[in-house]
Amino acid sequence: MSSRSVRPMMSSDLCEARRRALGLYRAIYRYIPYVIKYYDIPKNIDQCRWMLRSYFYKHAYITDVRVIDMLIIKGYIELKELTHQWQSKHHVIRHWNPSIEPKCTSFIAKFIEGN
Amino acid sequence: MLRQPLCRALALSSPARAVPLASRSYSNPVPAEPEKVEVFINDKPVYVAPGTTVLQAAAQVGVEIPRFCYHERLAVAGNCRMCLVEVERSPKPVAACAMPVMKGMRVKTDSDLTRKAREGVMEFLLVNHPLDCPICDQGGECDLQDQSMAFGSDRSRFTDVHFSGKRAVEDKDIGPLIKTIMTRCIHCTRCIRFASEVAGVDDFGTTGRGTDMQVGTYVEKMLLSELSGNVIDLCPVGALTSKPYSFAARPWETRRIDSVDVLDPLGSNIVVTTRTNEVLRILPRTNEEINEEWLSDKSRFACDGLKRQRLVTPMMTDSRGNLMPVDWEDAIVAAARALRDCPPNKLLAVAGDMADAESLVALKDLVNRLGSENTCTEQYFPLDGAGIDLRSSYLCNTKIANVEDADFVLLIGTNVRFEAPLLNARIRKAYVHKDTDVALIGPKVDLTYDYMHVGDSASVVKISPRGPEGSALLAYTQELACKLQDKLQDKEWKVLNVLQRTASQVAALDLGYQPGVGKALQDGPKVVYLLGADSGVVSRDQLPKDAFVIYQGHHGDAGAAMADVVLPGAAYTEKRATFVNAEGRAQQTLVAVAPPGMAREDWKIIRALSEVIGERLPYDNLDEVRDRLSEISPALVAYGDVQENNYFAQARALAQSLQKPVSGKLDVQLKHLEDFFMTDTISRASPTMAKCIQAVLKQKDSPY
Repeated sequence: MSSRSVRPMMSSDLCEARRRALGLYRAIYRYIPYVIKYYDIPKNIDQCRWMLRSYFYKHAYITDVRVIDMLIIKGYIELKELTHQWQSKHHVIRHWNPSIEPKCTSFIAKFIEGN
Repeated sequence: MLRQPLCRALALSSPARAVPLASRSYSNPVPAEPEKVEVFINDKPVYVAPGTTVLQAAAQVGVEIPRFCYHERLAVAGNCRMCLVEVERSPKPVAACAMPVMKGMRVKTDSDLTRKAREGVMEFLLVNHPLDCPICDQGGECDLQDQSMAFGSDRSRFTDVHFSGKRAVEDKDIGPLIKTIMTRCIHCTRCIRFASEVAGVDDFGTTGRGTDMQVGTYVEKMLLSELSGNVIDLCPVGALTSKPYSFAARPWETRRIDSVDVLDPLGSNIVVTTRTNEVLRILPRTNEEINEEWLSDKSRFACDGLKRQRLVTPMMTDSRGNLMPVDWEDAIVAAARALRDCPPNKLLAVAGDMADAESLVALKDLVNRLGSENTCTEQYFPLDGAGIDLRSSYLCNTKIANVEDADFVLLIGTNVRFEAPLLNARIRKAYVHKDTDVALIGPKVDLTYDYMHVGDSASVVKISPRGPEGSALLAYTQELACKLQDKLQDKEWKVLNVLQRTASQVAALDLGYQPGVGKALQDGPKVVYLLGADSGVVSRDQLPKDAFVIYQGHHGDAGAAMADVVLPGAAYTEKRATFVNAEGRAQQTLVAVAPPGMAREDWKIIRALSEVIGERLPYDNLDEVRDRLSEISPALVAYGDVQENNYFAQARALAQSLQKPVSGKLDVQLKHLEDFFMTDTISRASPTMAKCIQAVLKQKDSPY
């Protein structure tokens, strides 16, 4: 097996990437009360914090530094859109997917539905 | 212009032919194969049997020679000249379709001479062919278009400086199915040969010579054949096109889905052409074992019936007795309540003529779980003796393709021409090409070939299954068949054939349905479940007043009219389903379009119903239903295969006691061409079929 050395995006090693990830986490964590205030979403602080945690846990298995960096950049973009009010209420509430209906699993339900 | 097979067909119809074959031995031994000759196609050597044509030899090495008039299943005409090829040491190019190979022949299909000959022929054809491709229905699937692109000259020499115009020919009216634009005709005579050789209707012909030559019926006349639609496929140009499909679509904007026909018992292979969830037309798909490349007119043109008279929503009778649309929940709950509260012996399920094997097995499983054994089909078949226990006693054991090899065909109480048109085409093929003799017991009908009419009295044979004496008749037939079989040298040959009349019957009998509803109706059922049963065998006045009728099917016909609950199902173009044809060959249809409105696949309706009743059937998807089918009989899911049937002697032994004297006359339902067009819910809903009947009746009044 040969490894290929690539140019780093921002962080030079996992340690630095971890520091940046924590930085992003803190930044969003601290802004959450303002999100609730300015966007008037029917969620409380705890729910928002759980959503934030779930995003970070979703990517917890990633070990490629460049991918982590890219995700961090995207996280900051999202945060900037929130702070500058570029996003609207529905962008924010979409994190909870409130309009998705659960798929029917029973035969009868699928039959009535038409598949 | 009499061609050889036609001369033979004419000679065969002499009265001497009707004498039974005294001197014929059974199953003539096959003559030894003659030595093959070597020929060279473009310097590629190929060994072919003597007598093959250059065109066939070229096809064997994968060289396709362009042609218009040549067709594998028709006699060679050799009049279009498109297949001209250069043969070494021959002064002129030769017509490949008519030229038999000779030893050491060197054929050049791509030489300058060949190319020049093709360009010349193409030019002559196009001189008098209209340039109306943009408004021609053949556009996009036209042989002339394709071949003029591939083999024609790259520039035109046609300059009509005097504006004299091209040759124009008056259009003919040959019925409601085929549209003729005779100016486009290139005189390939395929339609003439088809009509006289395959369909057996010698109405087409040519008049005039040279530029004045015209193809047509000599007097204005409808093409009175049940196979007439095939001339549309045969026509290499747009001279004969489909009237119902005219100006409907272009071939490149449609989707083609392979499927199986269910309007007759043969299960012809078809291609369903669709666009925007709508069936536009149905074309035959080649299957040498069943339909070759032909299709009967009902199967081809009844597809517009799939859009009319459809049941698109569940319905229930209201307090005034009118059927009103309801939701699936309400309909299913009402049906389930009736089924659950019914005493088991008062429950009756009747399967109709287009029920697929999946829905049949689901319905039988449901009815059995409810404690009843009353599952019937509409078509009668004798149950005494071996009955339906042995598969050989209700199938076409010889198989459809092998009919061509028969020496003698005895038809008992059937008008095979309208009950299974393509089987009749096979018998005709055997009659014309192999000197097969045919005899008929039953009413005198036109089978398109000569046969010996033995009479229509059942006692003539002492031997056909219909009516109360059905079992005795079947017993005598089995006896006769076995006696004949014993005398045969070829022990593998099956003599006894039973032609079922509907697409669902064989699968239903395989699954253990009882043929015929007679006995079950006498018991006075409380709840009747009709699975597409529309032929009028079950009617309101035969049922007790308080009987509850559930109808499941795709067309609003006799069955839906008498029902208390209507559950809309899918037609054969709208579901993936198994059908078993008259010879016992399982085949599946594929989904071409979605079922209309709230209609659902049939087995799913029964499965959902079973869950509401509380007797959940153990299958949730199609694969699981098919596993259940294969548990009952693996033949039901062996798609495309036919199992060999045996136990004729045992069936004969069991039937021995049933050989009582019989009297009465044999009769058939479909006697004339006008009877053929409307036999089931789809064709009854089809306006094209209605026009056909009108046209046939009008033709009967005409003096020609």
